[in-house]
Parts: sequence; C-alpha cells; structure tokens
Amino acid sequence: MERGYWIKSKPIYTSLVWHEKATSHLVLASGIGGMAALKLFQQMHPAQPVTVLYARYAQMEVDYSETLKKVVPDNLHVFKFEEDLLTELKSIMPHMRMGLRIYVAGSEGFIWDVAKAVKPFGVDDAHIMKEQTDTLARNVYCVHCKAVTKSVTTNIVACCGCERMLFVRDHFSRNLGAYMGLMVDAESPGELPAIEEIYP
Amino acid sequence: MNMIDVRVAAIEQVTPLIKHFKFVKEDGSKLPPFSGGSHIVVALDAEGRTYRNPYSLMGSPTETDAYHISVRRQENSRGGSAYMHENISVGMTLKITHPVNLFTLAKMAHKHVLIAGGIGITPFMSQIEDLNRLGAEYELHYAFRSYKQAAFVEELQKACGNKLHCYSDSDGKRLDMDALLSNQPLGTHVYVCGPSPMVVGVLETAKNLGWPDSNVHNEQFLAPPVGESFKVQLAKSNLEVQVPAEMSMLEAIEAAGVQPEYLCRGGVCGRCELSVLESDGGLEHNDHFLTESEKASCKKIMPCVSRTKGKRLVLDL
Ligand code: FES
Repeated sequence: MERGYWIKSKPIYTSLVWHEKATSHLVLASGIGGMAALKLFQQMHPAQPVTVLYARYAQMEVDYSETLKKVVPDNLHVFKFEEDLLTELKSIMPHMRMGLRIYVAGSEGFIWDVAKAVKPFGVDDAHIMKEQTDTLARNVYCVHCKAVTKSVTTNIVACCGCERMLFVRDHFSRNLGAYMGLMVDAESPGELPAIEEIYP
Repeated sequence: MNMIDVRVAAIEQVTPLIKHFKFVKEDGSKLPPFSGGSHIVVALDAEGRTYRNPYSLMGSPTETDAYHISVRRQENSRGGSAYMHENISVGMTLKITHPVNLFTLAKMAHKHVLIAGGIGITPFMSQIEDLNRLGAEYELHYAFRSYKQAAFVEELQKACGNKLHCYSDSDGKRLDMDALLSNQPLGTHVYVCGPSPMVVGVLETAKNLGWPDSNVHNEQFLAPPVGESFKVQLAKSNLEVQVPAEMSMLEAIEAAGVQPEYLCRGGVCGRCELSVLESDGGLEHNDHFLTESEKASCKKIMPCVSRTKGKRLVLDL
C-alpha cells in the first residue's frame, strides 16, 4: 500500500458523539457496537427524544443489552439478529421527521446495511455518524459474478459465488457496502500469493 | 460573456412597486431553455454607464418563446431598478445573458418547502412549474406586507391551489419558521428567497433543528453597496481604474474594457473571485461566498459587491 495516500472511496469512521442540534436521535448498534452506544450515554443524556436499536449477536457474540437497559431511559429495542433490527428500522423510518440524527456502530457490513436501509427515506450516508467496531472484516463484491462474500478477514478469498480466488482491493462501493474483489490468478491459474489475515 | 438581444414585448405594472417585463427574441425564434430557479443578467446602457442586474426568470421553463422577469423598484436603487421602471418601454431592445441556475431544486428531495418574502417570490414562479410538471410534493409559503403590495397571488393560487400559504403583515399573520421546519418528513429540502432577515431566520432555524446543510438552499443576491471612491490597478492588464462611489468594482472594471467572469453579480456564486496583490487599507467584504478566514486573510475579493477601505488596490487581473 502506498504511504501518505487517501483512497477516496474508502469511508472514514469516527467515534460517536451526540449532535447538539437535533430534534431527535436514533442510535443503531450491533455486537461490540453496544459499547459505542454506552459511551454516547456517558457523554450525556440528550434533551431530545432518543431511540436505540441494538442487535445482540454480531460476529463476536458480545451482549451489551443488559447494561444498555440500565442506561437508556426508554425506547430501547433489543434484537437477536441484525436482520431483525433492520426490519424494525425500516418500519419506524416513515414516522421520522427532519432534524433526526442517526448514529451507527458495528461492523462495516452492518454500517452499510443501515445506510442502505435509510437511504430510501431521504437520508444521505454523509449525514449518518458511523463508528466501526467489532472487526475490520470486509464484505467483498466479486466483479466477475457479482456475488458478495461476507466478513472476509484475509487479503485473498474464494468467492462464495463463483469460487474464483479474489484479491480484496481498497476500492469501496457505498451502494454495495462492499470492497471490490478481483480474480488474483487470472494470468497464471493456481499461482497464488500468500494468503494472510489482514482484516481481523 | 456572449449576450442575447431581446425586445421588450410587454410591460405590466403588477403592484405599485413591481413591474413585469416580457422579453422575446427579435427574430421571433425561441430563447435558450432553462430550469426553475434560473436567473439572467440584464444589461442596461444608461447615463453613460452600463448597469448589469440579475433577475430571476419566471414562468414555465417549457415555454421559451418569451422570458419573464419582475423588477421591484428599490428605494435606494443605484439606478438599475429605477431605470428599468422609468426608461424601459415596449419595443426597446436590451441585452441579456444566457440563463444560469444558482438556485436549483434538489432532484433527490422527497418534499420541497419553498419560502418567499416579497419580490423573493420570483425564482419560485418557475420552480413551481417544474414541481407541478413532475408531480412533486411541495408547499409554498409566501410572506408579504399587504395583499395590495403582493405580486402574483392570484396566479399562484391557480398554479398551487392549497399548497400555497400566504402571510400578510397587515393582517398580522406571521410565518412561524420553527413550527414549519420542526415537523417536516425526512428527505425534505427547504428553499428561501427574500429579505435578508428572513433568509437568516430560515438558515438559523434549520440549523438549530438539526437540518443538514445540504437540505437548506437560499438565494440572496446582494445589491452592490455604495462606498468611497478608490483606485484599482489591474496588474495583468496593466490598467488603472477609478471606482466611483456609486459603482461596484466589477462595473468599473467592465467600463474600462476588461471583462472579468461573473454569474450572479450579487456576492453568492464565487465566479468573480479575484486575487488581491496589494492593498493600502482593509478590504470591505460584502459577499456571502468567502469564508471568514478567507475574508480575514485579505488575499481574495469578490469585485461584484466588495470594495476597499483604502485608496488603492492591486488585483491579479
Ligand atoms: S459574480 Fe457571483 S460572487 Fe461575484
């Protein structure tokens, strides 16, 4: 990787901080992301209404739901899986008004699932505050067969769709919520560089 | 800038202070297409100088047989609007620029809230045509002093029906910005055009309620303020230009035969930006374009509205 060089398409994640100006807040967290939600409430309890949706079992099987129940005043909803959280999110979005601030914490895959879910309601991902927790694992989009291989921790991975060996690039697509994967041994089949875990 | 020759086809006194002008091409051909919210600059040769004033295009962007603008006679006009009111008559020819849109509707918006104050209604006159054609969801909030001074209320009622909400000072009816902006569905964009306190009011309210900047749009062309007379030296053109008190720097530079770029002539678009090489006094920045730190650095100036507090300025032009 070249030094001193930003890859434009690669999203930048920060730590969650409350927006002071808002009419309401919506916090979405998954797995270890629950810690980021707890940290938000350490900062303060906002004056405006807050809704928290938390999915217990992300990749790493940690559960902050008991602590969240003690800290979040009301409007905490706990789900077993991220998919359930996303279904609930889509059902509450139509009732939301301008001035809503959205905060997401979880794996990169979760962050972009949320971004995709709220986009049809007129929320641009630029206005979502995002914290990457859990893991650096990447979703990888195969440019050959268009399948997305989830939670990839290595530099090279076998595509879940076409089984080609894909090199995981830094080029990220916000629409797909995934990094581009390009066949690595196209020129000389079978000749693979070392496969290493670099996105733990 | 290449200009279009037009003939004044009709003039209508809409209210005691507002006149509506209709322009057509001399040869009867169509004028260039435009989108809702666009403006043109009208060039007027008067009293030995050229006024160039921006006006919003009204009417339907799909009908380009004619352009329509409305001009309010400004109380302390430096001449442009008064000249339009007193000296322009049907049949005269004028030069106008191609339309430019610095106040476009957001294509991705789920809903549009339009807020107009007084003559600030004009850019919305073309936008509502676009919105109606697209079947978009919108509301138009129009505030004015009194029904007698308010232009186009009947046309708007016809075009917008119950999407139009009028607020007349004389009836004591006020537009409650906070109430209006605190209960809009997600994906709403707000647009404001009107007197400065109104624009500032909308911007502040939206900000305080947590609206993202990208969902808030305003059009607020400033009239170039008058000031002290000073000299500008144009380094590249090797010219020295005297800027009289009642002329803008841009106008004076144009009068000297140099043609800097511009779009809005009102301190908002940024197109006319020039680099300041030297100045013997502080700059008087009147624009809404440069950031506070850029203004403080005194390295850039928008000649359409800004001046110097000193006697002499050297520009990289
Ligand atoms: S012409 Fe637009 S800022 Fe000067």
